[in-house]
Amino acid sequence: MTHRMPQDVVTPVLRNVDLGHGNWLLEFDARGAATEMRPGQFFMIGVPGSDVLLRRPFSVCGLPGTFDDGAPGAVQVLYRVYGRGTALLASLGGGALLHVLGPLGRGFTPPADRNALPLFVAGGIGSAPFPAFAVELRSAGFAPAMMYGARTVTELPLLDWFETRCATVATATQDGSHGVAGLVTVPLEARLAAKDRDRLHLYACGPTPMLKAVGRLAERAGVVCDLALEAPMACGFGVCLGCVLPTHGETAQEVRYERVCIDGPVMRAERMAW
Amino acid sequence: MVSPDLSVAVGSVRLKNPVMTASGTFGYGLEFLPFLDLSELGGLVTKGLSPKPRRGNPPERIVETPAGMLNAIGLQNVGVDAFIAEKLPRLAPYDTAVVANVFGETEAEYVEVLEKLDAAQGVAAVELNVSCPNVEAGGMIFGNDPKALARVTRACRRATRLPLWVKLSPNVTDIRETARAAEAEGADAISLVNTFVGMAVNVDKKRPVLANGSGGLSGPAIRPLAVWLTWQVRRAVKIPIVGMGGIMTGRDAVEFLLAGASAVQVGTANFVTPRAAIDVIDGLKTWLSERGIPSAAEITGTLRAAEAASVPV
Repeated sequence: MTHRMPQDVVTPVLRNVDLGHGNWLLEFDARGAATEMRPGQFFMIGVPGSDVLLRRPFSVCGLPGTFDDGAPGAVQVLYRVYGRGTALLASLGGGALLHVLGPLGRGFTPPADRNALPLFVAGGIGSAPFPAFAVELRSAGFAPAMMYGARTVTELPLLDWFETRCATVATATQDGSHGVAGLVTVPLEARLAAKDRDRLHLYACGPTPMLKAVGRLAERAGVVCDLALEAPMACGFGVCLGCVLPTHGETAQEVRYERVCIDGPVMRAERMAW
Repeated sequence: MVSPDLSVAVGSVRLKNPVMTASGTFGYGLEFLPFLDLSELGGLVTKGLSPKPRRGNPPERIVETPAGMLNAIGLQNVGVDAFIAEKLPRLAPYDTAVVANVFGETEAEYVEVLEKLDAAQGVAAVELNVSCPNVEAGGMIFGNDPKALARVTRACRRATRLPLWVKLSPNVTDIRETARAAEAEGADAISLVNTFVGMAVNVDKKRPVLANGSGGLSGPAIRPLAVWLTWQVRRAVKIPIVGMGGIMTGRDAVEFLLAGASAVQVGTANFVTPRAAIDVIDGLKTWLSERGIPSAAEITGTLRAAEAASVPV
C-alpha cells in the first residue's frame, strides 16, 4: 500500500460551523493533503500557542466535492465538544491558525466485490468518516446504506446529509427520540438476519463498546466488517505507542498490541483481540 | 555575524550540536525520516532495548495532563537483535550520534544487551534505563537505590567499551546519591531525568485513567523540576550531564545548559511537532548569535547562582 507522506502545516480555519448541540464542522485548507487522502484517514490538529499540549486526532469527514458548499480544495472534520482540545477548537473563528499533520493512517477500502452492499454503522460522532466515503462509494457505483445510533436525536450530526446520499438510513436512539428505541445493534441484528446478508460489507465507527458489539454480530453472521478505531494518541505517526489496541498475532492465542495510528485506524474486526 | 559553533562533547562522544532526541519519544529514528534530516541532530536515543521483544502494557497508555502527559507504555520494543539487524543499518547513512537506550529486568539482561551492542557497528554510546517507572520488574528498582545502581553500573561497565551513560530517575529523595554511585562505578555521563511517577484519575469511573494505574509524567510541567535536578547533580559529580525534561524551545535547552548540562534531549515535544528538535537547534543558535556567544559548549554550567547553592533539598 502506498502512503502519501504526511505534511505538517500551519493553516487557517476557513469555516467553523456550529451544527448545534455541541456538534461542529471545521473546514480548512490541508494543502496538498486533500488530493491524495483516503476516507478513513485522519489528521492530528492542534492550535499553535495554546496551552493544550498534544494535538488531537480527527478523521477526515469531507474531501473536496463531499459537501456542496465546501470551499474549493478544502477539507472538513466533524467533531463534538467533549474535552479541552475540542472546546478549544470550537472557540476558533475563521482565520484562526491550526497546526495540522496529515494525512495519517490507513483509511477505508471499498468492497472488492462490485455487487457488495456497503453498510455504515455509526455511533454518534462516529459518523465523521462516512461522508467522504459515501461520495467515493457512490461514484464507484455502490449504494451505501447506513445505520446511525446515538443516545439522543441531537447526537446524530449530518443526518439530513446522509439521508440524501445513502440508499437508506435507519436510526436508533437510546431515548427513542429518533428511529427505533435502543442501540444501533437493534436494527443491525435484523439486517444481518436478511437473506442477502452475504453481500453486506460493514464499515463501523463509534464508541469502543459499539465497535465490539458490531464486530461480534458481523462475525456471527459471517459478514465482512471493517472498524474505524479510536484511541488516545500523542503523536499520530507511530512513535509514542500510546494508541495501541490488542490484536491477534500469528496464532489465535498470541495477542499483540498494534498502533491505531499507523496500523489502523481502519482494521478488520476479526483482527481485534478484545 | 559569525554563526556560533554548536559542537559539544559528552565525554568522548562528539556531537555536532547539543540537541538530541530522548528515548521513547523518537522510535528508532527512522519514523522521523518523512519530517527531518537525521543528520541535523546532535544525536538520537533509541527506544529502550531489551534482550527480547516486549509487547508493553495494555491500554489506556497515555493521557494529557496540565502542561504534560502521563505515559505507561511498558517498554514495548523490538528487542536488541531486531534493532541491530533491521534498524541500525538504516541509520548508518546519517551523520548523527546514535545512542542505544538499554533496559533489563535483571543485571544479566542489561549485560546481554550491552554485549550485543558492543559488537555492532554504528552505536556511539549506550544509555542505561534504570528509571522506567512503568514496568513492575526491574527498571526503577535499580534507579531508586544507590547500591543497586552501583551494582548494575559496574556490571555494565565491564560488559562494554562503548561510552556508558546512566539515565537517572527523579523519583528519589536525593538524586545526588544515585549520580555519585553511577560516577563511582565508571559511568561516562549522567542523563537526567526520566519521567516523574504520577497518576490521573477518571473521577466518573473512580479509576486511574491509565490501565497501569500510574504513569510517567513528561512535558513542560516537569521542566523546572528537571532543571533543578540538573543543577543539583552538576555540583555532585564531575562527569558530563545530558539534561532533559519538557524542552520545547531553544531557550528551554539553554536553561539546562546553563544549569550544567553538556547536551540536552528533546522528548515529548517530538510528539507535538515532529520537527521539534530542529526548532530547538535553530532556537539555540539564535540565542547564542543574538548574544555574540561564539560556542554552545562554553555556556555549560555558567548559571549565576551562588545563592542557590545554599538552598536545602
